[in-house]
Amino acid sequence: MNLKGILGASPKMKYIMFGGKGGLGKTTFSAAAAYYLAQQGHKVLVFSVDPQASLSDIFQKDIFGKGAVEIMPNLFAQEINADQRIADYQAQIKKQIIDRYGFDKVPDEIESYIAAASSEPAMEESAIFDAVVDIVFTGEYDYYIYDLVPLGHALYYLSMSSIYDEWINKITELRTEMQRYDQVAARMKSESVSEEDEILRELQEIRKRINLSSSIFTDKEKTGFFFVLTPEEMTIIDTQKAGELFSKFGVPISGYVVNRVLPEKLLKETIPAYLKHRIESQREPLARIQDCFKGQVVGSVQEFERDITGLEMIRKVSDQLFGEA
Amino acid sequence: MADKEKKEKKGFRLGKSLKEFVYGMAAHDTARFALKTRGSMEHLFILITMGDMLGIPILPPYYSLRLLPYVVPQISTWKRRMLREKDFTDTLA
Repeated sequence: MNLKGILGASPKMKYIMFGGKGGLGKTTFSAAAAYYLAQQGHKVLVFSVDPQASLSDIFQKDIFGKGAVEIMPNLFAQEINADQRIADYQAQIKKQIIDRYGFDKVPDEIESYIAAASSEPAMEESAIFDAVVDIVFTGEYDYYIYDLVPLGHALYYLSMSSIYDEWINKITELRTEMQRYDQVAARMKSESVSEEDEILRELQEIRKRINLSSSIFTDKEKTGFFFVLTPEEMTIIDTQKAGELFSKFGVPISGYVVNRVLPEKLLKETIPAYLKHRIESQREPLARIQDCFKGQVVGSVQEFERDITGLEMIRKVSDQLFGEA
Repeated sequence: MADKEKKEKKGFRLGKSLKEFVYGMAAHDTARFALKTRGSMEHLFILITMGDMLGIPILPPYYSLRLLPYVVPQISTWKRRMLREKDFTDTLA
């Protein structure tokens, strides 16, 4: 089945993701899929979870940190500005502390803790993770297309959600037990039982957000996860490994898409020996791809004569990706 | 009329004293113990959410910050408790 067939046969599919090594064309395919679906009359949002996002480049429009920007009718694109989000988040926490206790300013040690916590390397990823929850929570689009970070990052992102989940479970347990002791003490003193624990409520809110994002990754019906690869030995090996890891995290893989295929028909023309050898040398990896991912290769896109930027080039990729060339 | 009110008040006071007496005899220790345990748990909770304040790396800082506003008043006693030296008198407390 090709990509078009998969989308047609999965009416519940709402989230589409392209994963794979860096520089293989995840952003290109994300843009192309968004273009295709928008042309079909669906309202689509393509957004980047990569701090070094390149949607701005491909759409030739500066959209960084500007929210969802309309690129063409039905097609919206968004690049998350993690730094801005962290700054806003910090400001919000500080305001909450000041309002809650009527302080003039945040105590120094708390201030420095907030600053230190925000410089942690995991902070940026977490901020993006949380921003994605906000994006998909609204539910105002028919399709959400994730322009994912390269492999290592994507795995980190996935494992983070299970770590978060465990962490939350542990502290929720502790918090519930604390509440029990509160109640015992209150009953002994014949006082009324203390009010609901605000922290517990906050924890449940955090858990809800984390579960939503990880459940999207592992939802077979709603999510289509596609690997992008190129006809090169190294890429094939890496993709196989990544595929295994992703299945370990319970991510159902919907298919593999091959990019940068040099057109065989060029061999009929008079071409330099260099190009001829390049075309011939991809035959073996191409055969291997068909063999390794039997029946799971859902699309193939050729190497173009120029970079994929601008809607015209995106349309060409989309035509090939969805088999309308 | 006033006499009756007085009597009732007296009875109420007596009832209250009796209640406090029984509480002191039977339940005070338990309640004290429950509150003490609750206090230790509060500190344990801050440790596993805000541990990096003491240099103990804790995952993950992003959502810890969301909880920070609720524990601000406890932070200084928590730090004092975590960082102070222990001696044998601690066991008497």
